[in-house]
Amino acid sequence: MKLIDLYLDEVRQQLPLKNRGDILREIQSTLMDMIEDRNPNPGQEPPNETLIAVLKEFGSPQQVARQYSAENYLIGPRMFPLYLNVLKIVLFVIAAFNIVGVIIAIVSQSGYNTGVFETIAQILGSLFSSLFTGFGIVTLSFASIERTTPKDWKFDLDQEWQPEQLLKTEDKQQINVPGLAIEITLTLIFIALLNFFLDRIGIYFLSDSGWVSTPILNDNFLRYIPWITAYAVFDIALNLYLIRKGFWDNSSVLAKVFINLFKIAVSFAIITGPDFISVNPSALVALNFDQTLSASSLSRILNIILKVLVGLSIFGLVIDSGKRLYDAFLKGKDTRFEIDID
Amino acid sequence: MSDTNLQIQTQSLVQELRRGVIILAVLSQLHEEQYGYSLMKLLEDQEMQIDQGTLYPLLRRMEEQNLLESNWRVESSRPRRYYQLSEFGEKVLQEMATEWLRIKSTVDKLLSSKKENENETH
Repeated sequence: MKLIDLYLDEVRQQLPLKNRGDILREIQSTLMDMIEDRNPNPGQEPPNETLIAVLKEFGSPQQVARQYSAENYLIGPRMFPLYLNVLKIVLFVIAAFNIVGVIIAIVSQSGYNTGVFETIAQILGSLFSSLFTGFGIVTLSFASIERTTPKDWKFDLDQEWQPEQLLKTEDKQQINVPGLAIEITLTLIFIALLNFFLDRIGIYFLSDSGWVSTPILNDNFLRYIPWITAYAVFDIALNLYLIRKGFWDNSSVLAKVFINLFKIAVSFAIITGPDFISVNPSALVALNFDQTLSASSLSRILNIILKVLVGLSIFGLVIDSGKRLYDAFLKGKDTRFEIDID
Repeated sequence: MSDTNLQIQTQSLVQELRRGVIILAVLSQLHEEQYGYSLMKLLEDQEMQIDQGTLYPLLRRMEEQNLLESNWRVESSRPRRYYQLSEFGEKVLQEMATEWLRIKSTVDKLLSSKKENENETH
């Protein structure tokens, strides 16, 4: 029965790995039952026509194998509405940034020689490239959430809502899943920007040869990239854990505080380290900037402003860590103590 | 709408309707153990046609859901996988049968009231 062996080989190749042998054995057993039942000459080798009729009835190898395959989604129906919302927000922000950037660049030009169509084509090219990158990162983020989060841990958009849950929210410190999904996506974009497109962070202007950008971050900044990437990855890992868990527990609070301390250490190193912003003089001229200000003095001012902002972020991180520790370890105890007295 | 369209649409809806009751039909025949082909014949004899490609994966899914238990046995020189209702499956079948009777009675009432309305209009 060569035909049956060939058929089973075809089915085997397309079956899921899990239980493949067992499924195949069952299919083979059923085919033998069917052939025996339909054989016009019982006890003898069945004719080819019977084998063909049985296989035809059983279905093509693809059809049979498909019935055993579990549904496999890149982004499942439970996550899809949230995915669409986050995608809309991210694409809108990217488009808005691009448009604002283009307007600023055009307004700041005293005149440019590139043709209108060429400029429009460059703007559209840059916009579509950014939109595709954003689309890819959002999709990858959600696909990774889909694969790393077990089904029963995923939040259910259709679950019955109980108003009483509002009363419990504060105590349980429930997490905001859409917020975390947006945070994961933006952090991934940030990591990609930092590690692969650092030269894109700069000043954009139209020159005679079209759109030109000069990076503003100098080599001094490179030493911080591994550390910034590390805490961004920790942030993503913690957010994925929170989506699984559904609320802030003590270990996630401690992990968040640890990440904050890490961020504070890196920020402190940035503040006390050498200047990391250098403005290219040609960009300054091209932008028709205040001619009394030299590129080096503008670089110095920008460095001071950014270091002040980093200093403020340290202050914010300290406050955030203190608040989280208080909420997790002290606030609950105070409440319980008051209830005991009553 | 052409006759062909009507036929295709009806066929698709009837298939959907049947899909809903296949689990109940299969469970109802597994008080005693059956292997795949014997179960299919049993259902066929009672005018319940189930496609092979639907039945076997369905039996596996029902086993994963703990509705069925199965074991391999060699009979007439061929290994066969026998399926039977589990204790949990028995309980689920009872619940489903009750629900089925309720749905059937409701739909019967709905359909007969529609017929009465039509007769009154004529």
